[in-house]
Amino acid sequence: MNAPDRYERFVVPEGTKKVSYERDTKIVNAGSFTIEREDHTIGNILRMQLHRDPNVLFAGYKLPHPLQYKIIVRVHTANQSTPTQAYTQAINDLDKELENLKQAFEDEKNRYEERPKQGY
Amino acid sequence: MEECNVEALVGNDGDGGQATKGGLEFTVEQYKLELLEPYSLLLPSVVLVVGFPPKSKTLLFGGGGGGGGGSMDRPAAGASYQRFPRVRIRELKDDYAKFELRDTDASMANALRRVMIAEVPTVAIDLVEIEVNSSVLNDEFIAHRLGLIPLTSAAAMGMRFSRDCDACDGDGSCEYCSVEFHLAARATDSDQTLEVTSNDLRSTDPKVCPVDQARAYQHALGGSEPFDTAAAADQRGILIVKLRRGQELRLRAIARKGIGKDHAKWSPAATVTFMYEPEIRINEELMETLTLDEKRSLVESSPTKVFNIDPNTQQVVVEDPEAYTYDDEVIKKADAMGKPGLIEINAKEDSFIFTVETTGAITAYDLIMNAITVLRQKLDGVRLQDDDGDLGELGAHLVGG
Repeated sequence: MNAPDRYERFVVPEGTKKVSYERDTKIVNAGSFTIEREDHTIGNILRMQLHRDPNVLFAGYKLPHPLQYKIIVRVHTANQSTPTQAYTQAINDLDKELENLKQAFEDEKNRYEERPKQGY
Repeated sequence: MEECNVEALVGNDGDGGQATKGGLEFTVEQYKLELLEPYSLLLPSVVLVVGFPPKSKTLLFGGGGGGGGGSMDRPAAGASYQRFPRVRIRELKDDYAKFELRDTDASMANALRRVMIAEVPTVAIDLVEIEVNSSVLNDEFIAHRLGLIPLTSAAAMGMRFSRDCDACDGDGSCEYCSVEFHLAARATDSDQTLEVTSNDLRSTDPKVCPVDQARAYQHALGGSEPFDTAAAADQRGILIVKLRRGQELRLRAIARKGIGKDHAKWSPAATVTFMYEPEIRINEELMETLTLDEKRSLVESSPTKVFNIDPNTQQVVVEDPEAYTYDDEVIKKADAMGKPGLIEINAKEDSFIFTVETTGAITAYDLIMNAITVLRQKLDGVRLQDDDGDLGELGAHLVGG
């Protein structure tokens, strides 16, 4: 009856920004990124990648409500960095990791398929 | 190749370093060395990593040539903390894959699993226009059953979602976003009931058809073994409805691209699971103090067959570490026998064993590759746009100085 449409889970409504950054009003170098139409898949890998950065003092994400299709990633950095820098770097690193993984899979598949032909 | 190994090692160290500050700094050092030193020096520097005391990081830092901005011991922003995961395929069939994923963390393994299940696109019947239905099942029931039939979706990655398709209104008359199917069946005079199956669906696009039709076609081409009972069962197709004499079913169906998040009928995954690789250590010295009967009861205490007794040496050996279900039963048993620490089992935090099974809509290998592609697209979508990036950094500079 009043259930939200299923596509609302992954289609960003028109006029809404996918990612918005809001600086913390009290703490320097802290703020939260609100990411629309994403969930634990993105939230958790981002958080863990941010933890690898020693300039990041705090990184966490939350899914505020199961019917609000957004996540909030909160980042606090040391003053050598900024949350936006750390965030961008985390995405770059994850992207490169996946690029690498894809290549690794292709190579591994070739190796796997070559194996029986060699004949022990 | 050498460079790759080094980075993999560094990745490991950084992972463990989340808890201990020393380890974390270390990653950074290694990174700088890599930038400053010629590659020939890289290998010795790895030897340093092993068991290096965390305290000496400042010393090493001085030697590294200070890019850290002077203050404190933190590196400048913009350093990379990328990992280099390794993969080993154990088994790869059309609809089944088993592989090991190493040098990454559970968040990445879980993200891949989630994407494989819910976000890799396939094609499935989404709209059904029923012309005649005099069967015992109502129209909605049949439409739902049609939706659940897996269709070959190798082309799905290149297709458009009908909601973003400019060429049509998503009514099925568009080659970019939809495929039309027709079904017409009528039980004539015979006394037997007529089984309407997925084999009766006629596709307008040869690339997209029910998976068992595609398999039957492959079989016909390959002319493979006639005694394959599994294949024989496949040839019957997926039952949609049974018709009695005089009943008729005639319909037009439109298949569209979609993802499992929208409806499970679009999920290409039958099962996707991963487990941590267990590391099982037996304290041999303590094990020697056990009698053969005690060893037997220890081996039997595990609900799955993880351990066995070597018939020659009568020693307890780990037969299949991956059979272990993290049930702790053997450890409890060892404690109960008064031998705590007899067996130690740890989950390797950076090593996963994946099992991937697909519905047949795409191959297991394609599922994995598409999951990686989709996850990258998702990450690309959550990058900061130029305008917020500048604003954010400008604001931060104003405050942070």
